[in-house]
Amino acid sequence: MTEARPTFLDGLTASLPIVMGYFPISFSFGVAATRAGFTGIEATALSVIIYAGASQFLALALLSSGAPVLVSAFTLIAMNLRHLLYGPALMREAGEAAETRHAWAWAWGLTDEVFGQALGALARGQRFSEPSMFGLGLGAYAAWISGTIAGAYAGSGALEGWPAVNAGLGFMLPALFLALLLSILNRRQLPVIAVAGAVTVIATLTISATSGILLGMLAGAIAGVLRK
Amino acid sequence: MSWELLTVALLAGAANWCFRALPILARTGRATAGGWLGRFLSSTGPAAIGTLFVAAILPALTPELGRTLPAITGTLAVLGVYLARKSVVLATLAGAFVHGLTVWLLG
Repeated sequence: MTEARPTFLDGLTASLPIVMGYFPISFSFGVAATRAGFTGIEATALSVIIYAGASQFLALALLSSGAPVLVSAFTLIAMNLRHLLYGPALMREAGEAAETRHAWAWAWGLTDEVFGQALGALARGQRFSEPSMFGLGLGAYAAWISGTIAGAYAGSGALEGWPAVNAGLGFMLPALFLALLLSILNRRQLPVIAVAGAVTVIATLTISATSGILLGMLAGAIAGVLRK
Repeated sequence: MSWELLTVALLAGAANWCFRALPILARTGRATAGGWLGRFLSSTGPAAIGTLFVAAILPALTPELGRTLPAITGTLAVLGVYLARKSVVLATLAGAFVHGLTVWLLG
């Protein structure tokens, strides 16, 4: 185990790979938002207030299709239920003595990737520190917001002459989900993921894409409950 | 800014903050293992990520080669780079790069 507690700057440095991943994804969110008819300020507000990639893309689809406000909000909330586990899992690794005085602030930045990066650092023997969590979270949050602003104001026009770049940015999200899936994949979770995937396909093809996501998640989680 | 957008964003954002911060502030994490609720919660993450991947890749799976081939090469790039480097960010960037490259090569 290393002796020194990681600083804010250490956390900020550790956020660089996430920054590289987040900027193009949030850029494509900014572009998608303006294409869907939202203003740059509205796109930025979604990134600042929600700060959860997949939910934000879904928010665009729900809001532009005129879905009721409460249904839309509930759908987005249900999508992020998994975040409930990140804090407890991280603090278990950090140990009983870990400080949580400022967790009300840094925990806002506990996205899938920040959680993964923080957990990985602890697994490699680094000590837990709140300043480093602030650095890690702020780097990622700043990249997410600035990418959204750049995408919203550069707009789809900036990418019209670059179809390959446009296509690559469009694939950033499926690629991120696949990489995250690989990072958590193990024999125990395989039935959960298989059931979730199969139900998503069936419900998307027979009902709608939004139902596919909700029913897929629910079916996968129930498969986890029924698993011995 | 429309009030619908602001309401949805504030509700979803408030829930996100609760999900991310409250379990740490309440220090309840050490008691989440076991029980049906614990199993449900621990399966929610993998189920959600699996669902999101399938939902995101599904529109690309059409008989049209120009849409399917880039999705296949991009997926293979993610798999290859993740297995080689065990990095979520590198695998994501490689998948997007190879996807874009295939679109460019297909003209």
